[in-house]
Amino acid sequence: MVSQSLPQAGAFGEHAQSAPWLERAHEWVVTVDHKRIGLMYITYSLLMLVVGGVEATLMRIQLAVPDAHFVSPQVFNVLFTMHGTTMIFFVTMPILFGFANYLVPLMIGARDMAFPRLNAFSFWMMAFGGLLLYFSFVGGSGLYGAGSAPDVGWWAYAPLTAKAFSRGHSTDYWTLALLVSGIGSIGTAINLVATILCMRCRGMTLGKMPLLPWLNLVMAGMVLAGISPLTAAQLMLCIDRYLGGHFFDTQAGGSAVIWMHFFWIFGHPEVYILVIPAFAFASEIIPVFSRKAIFGYPIMVAASVAIAFISFSVWAHHMFAVGMPSYGNAFFVLTSMLVGVPTGIKIFNWLGTMWGGKIIFATPMLFCIGFVFQFLIGGLTGIMVAAAPFDWQLTDSYFVVAHFHYIIVGAILFTIFAAFYYWYPKITGRMMSETLGKWHFWLFLIGFHLTFDFMHIPGILGMPRRIYTYLPGRGWGIWNMIVTIGVFFQIVAVAIFVVNLIRSYYRGEPASNDPWDAWTLEWSASSPPPAYNFAVLPEVKSRRPLWDLKHPEDPDWKYE
Amino acid sequence: MSAYSETNLSSGERPREIVLPARTAWPLVLAFGLTLVFTGLVTIAAVSLLGGLLSLFGAVGWFREVLPHERHESVPVREEVIVIATERREVARIQIAPELQRLRFPIEVYPVASGIRGGLAGSVAMAAVAMIYGWISQGSIWYPVNLLGAVVYADALQLTAARLAQFSMLLLLVALTLHLTTSLLVGLLYGTMLPMLPRHPILLGGVIAPLFWSGLVYSVLGLVHPLLNARINWWWFTASQIAFGLVAGLVVIRHTPVRVRQFVPLAMRAGIEATGMPEEKRDKGENR
Amino acid sequence: MSAIPAPISSPEREWSLPSRGKTGMLNLILAESAIFTIFVISYIFYLGKSLSGPTPVEILHVPILDTICLLSSSLTIHFAVAALRRGKSKAFLFWWGATLALGLKFIEGTAADWYQMIYRENFSIKTNLFGTTYYSLVGLHASHVTVGLIGLSLVFLLALAGKVKQQHAERCEVFSLYWHFVDAVWVVVFTVVYLVGR
Ligand SMILES: [Cu+2]
Repeated sequence: MVSQSLPQAGAFGEHAQSAPWLERAHEWVVTVDHKRIGLMYITYSLLMLVVGGVEATLMRIQLAVPDAHFVSPQVFNVLFTMHGTTMIFFVTMPILFGFANYLVPLMIGARDMAFPRLNAFSFWMMAFGGLLLYFSFVGGSGLYGAGSAPDVGWWAYAPLTAKAFSRGHSTDYWTLALLVSGIGSIGTAINLVATILCMRCRGMTLGKMPLLPWLNLVMAGMVLAGISPLTAAQLMLCIDRYLGGHFFDTQAGGSAVIWMHFFWIFGHPEVYILVIPAFAFASEIIPVFSRKAIFGYPIMVAASVAIAFISFSVWAHHMFAVGMPSYGNAFFVLTSMLVGVPTGIKIFNWLGTMWGGKIIFATPMLFCIGFVFQFLIGGLTGIMVAAAPFDWQLTDSYFVVAHFHYIIVGAILFTIFAAFYYWYPKITGRMMSETLGKWHFWLFLIGFHLTFDFMHIPGILGMPRRIYTYLPGRGWGIWNMIVTIGVFFQIVAVAIFVVNLIRSYYRGEPASNDPWDAWTLEWSASSPPPAYNFAVLPEVKSRRPLWDLKHPEDPDWKYE
Repeated sequence: MSAYSETNLSSGERPREIVLPARTAWPLVLAFGLTLVFTGLVTIAAVSLLGGLLSLFGAVGWFREVLPHERHESVPVREEVIVIATERREVARIQIAPELQRLRFPIEVYPVASGIRGGLAGSVAMAAVAMIYGWISQGSIWYPVNLLGAVVYADALQLTAARLAQFSMLLLLVALTLHLTTSLLVGLLYGTMLPMLPRHPILLGGVIAPLFWSGLVYSVLGLVHPLLNARINWWWFTASQIAFGLVAGLVVIRHTPVRVRQFVPLAMRAGIEATGMPEEKRDKGENR
Repeated sequence: MSAIPAPISSPEREWSLPSRGKTGMLNLILAESAIFTIFVISYIFYLGKSLSGPTPVEILHVPILDTICLLSSSLTIHFAVAALRRGKSKAFLFWWGATLALGLKFIEGTAADWYQMIYRENFSIKTNLFGTTYYSLVGLHASHVTVGLIGLSLVFLLALAGKVKQQHAERCEVFSLYWHFVDAVWVVVFTVVYLVGR
């Protein structure tokens, strides 16, 4: 082993690295270092974000005016299927896995994940799964129009997926890609749980662990229990399509509704798999920029665990329109409303953290504040559609689309942006530009609200989702135009973000080890951290070990 | 180097090199092989065959990577001094109880039993008002009970007014469960919230909160449950809510609040805390 | 920048964490249980919903001997790990080989059963809804047994070559967790398919 070529500067390597690019690429491909794997996850997701974003933009252009012919109906079906699948499985999940990979070992004072090779394997499974999905545009049998890309919607309801209705291999691409990436997700989840339970540094009991590892532990547990039903359902679909089984074949006594149940047993927890790491970012960033400890730490942990449990008993609120017995409806209405309690507690805790604090309005904090308010609104519309009669009226309308984008963009994506601005100095050793960051925030905020606030209205007016165009004179035109205009604000904002990412890497102001004056262990490593993270494994006595060192006269551990 | 042991998180010896897991391409090969196996299902069988072969190689390679011994590589430790310190030296505190350096909110709470008693007492008051309404308007005390039961058991709303006024065991049980659980929960909420309300807790908790709640239900119920909505008399509804609020609130504040103890175990503290805040001492316009 | 010295006295407290291997395996088992749960649910849900025959009573033979074999292999693998932990490599080899043999007997039984049904009695995964759910559930379990058998025989070969030592007891124990899980799943599958479902 050539030890001198090892990445002293961890993550991105030294800025003036002289090794030829092929060698450097090789270093990344064969790595088992959690930081590099985390960065590969993040980079991959950002590329996929662009792809999914382009698909969304094409749809919005098509819908901007009534009776448009920008894309054909067939292409439109492909676009919304691929947009949903890409954004959930190949953008949001991997980017959150990436941050978890990078941050969890650093925050619990470990040198790597529990199973470094499994970690690399999981990443590559996810990455190849995404490639397999997009290979459908060019490969396989039945090249027509837009290739044989999947076009049955991201939840692929039966019997649309039966051989008779989905000819060729388009649905198989969707199924197999999710199977492959699902194996990767389960691998990462196993790894995260084992890391968090078995790799903590001395003194870090579960009660002293920062909230980010805690919430990622909850998330990983949910992946294990939540992605597996999807894997099982995909296996059944494969059995139907390849071996001639009858699981979802209504002509042979099979049930189309049971696919819905299986899909949403995965589908609803999935939302929380995505949003709990977002909570984790907010729970780390808001205290630092409020200059106060997190308000109600044990309650935050308890609420997250409660959310995880409740979210496995609410899935059929996606199926009110299918027609369940009234006690079924009542049960799922009640459990869905119940989720509001722990999530409400969390919102109060973030507000309690900010209350009375010396708030610093840096870009990460701006995104987090945006998150708190938008998550609240998205949660409230969620309670609205959780009421069965209301849902009967608005199910499968743009109101629902607006609701879940409020959560996924307004809450999750906002905290992901916050996480980028907050941990970028740790990852690269340079600060991101605050000026560009503010531009990014405000443009994105305007674009977000233009798009997703106004998207509720055509939904209330009766515009169904997944239609490829609509007739003039229904009163939907003006709202759709506003929604599409908002998209372009978002595009400009994201472009600024990308410029900021790249420019700061070369020309950003050098960052110290602890630029935000924060309290968790990752800020005690150098920026960027060396391959081994910590020369000597740390030992902690409280939830804020760096506070204890910075304020020896008033340490936390006396009170915890 | 001397600053190191004083300001870092561990006083251990700094090693010269650290062993880490060796890098390897086998997981990548295995992942690629497995993906190819699946790709063969949508292309041609030969791809699956190639994938299977690659997977086998990957698995064997990976196996040899960890058995009999895990392969390691050692990384030299970089010479560096990590100083952990802050420029924000002052710590400001929220002045509520000066004798306590770190304080956990709230300082005083009502005992849990007070919330339970309040909820139960409130539930009786509310039920009394509702039954009086049923007796006056429909001549039957069971009318409001049946309506409440209908919240869950929707078939009841198909019944005629005359049937709704009759006694029904099923609806009574449903209504009783709903009424008692909700009352207990709201009672507990009162027990927790009343000490936090700034002034006139009885006015806020006993009158204004029920008014807000009634207003919310009034504005939403038509959308959510139109059949039920058609049968509700909103003046009486509000009156019963206020009856609950007043009675529950009065019962709660008759208990003596107890001081929250500072060093009791974690679970008992309920975890609400507010430590001091570090005062900023910004250096020369440093703006982070 | 004032670096206030903060000597943290390191109290020599006990600091023990759960084992990585066991935690990882238990998590895998959790994920696998979720997969099996979905298959079991669909088996029960579709019981008696087939539009055509054959029905479970007409076609299934209760594999009592195979079940006894598989369940007793849980005991033998336990003895094997216990022997290895005490450093008795001969005893380890014997019990591990016994586990392998019992597992092979089980999978041979399933294979013979399936051959009989598919080729003699014309009952396949395509035949009806019951066929689909039966072959999927039992096949899913059988594939897990097969994976386990591959692992068992790998370790057995290594042990024959004298490469399995006392320090590998932990790894063998982690593997045995998987084998116990496969056995436990069979208890559920057996109950659902052969006791309740018939
Ligand atoms: Cu949901």
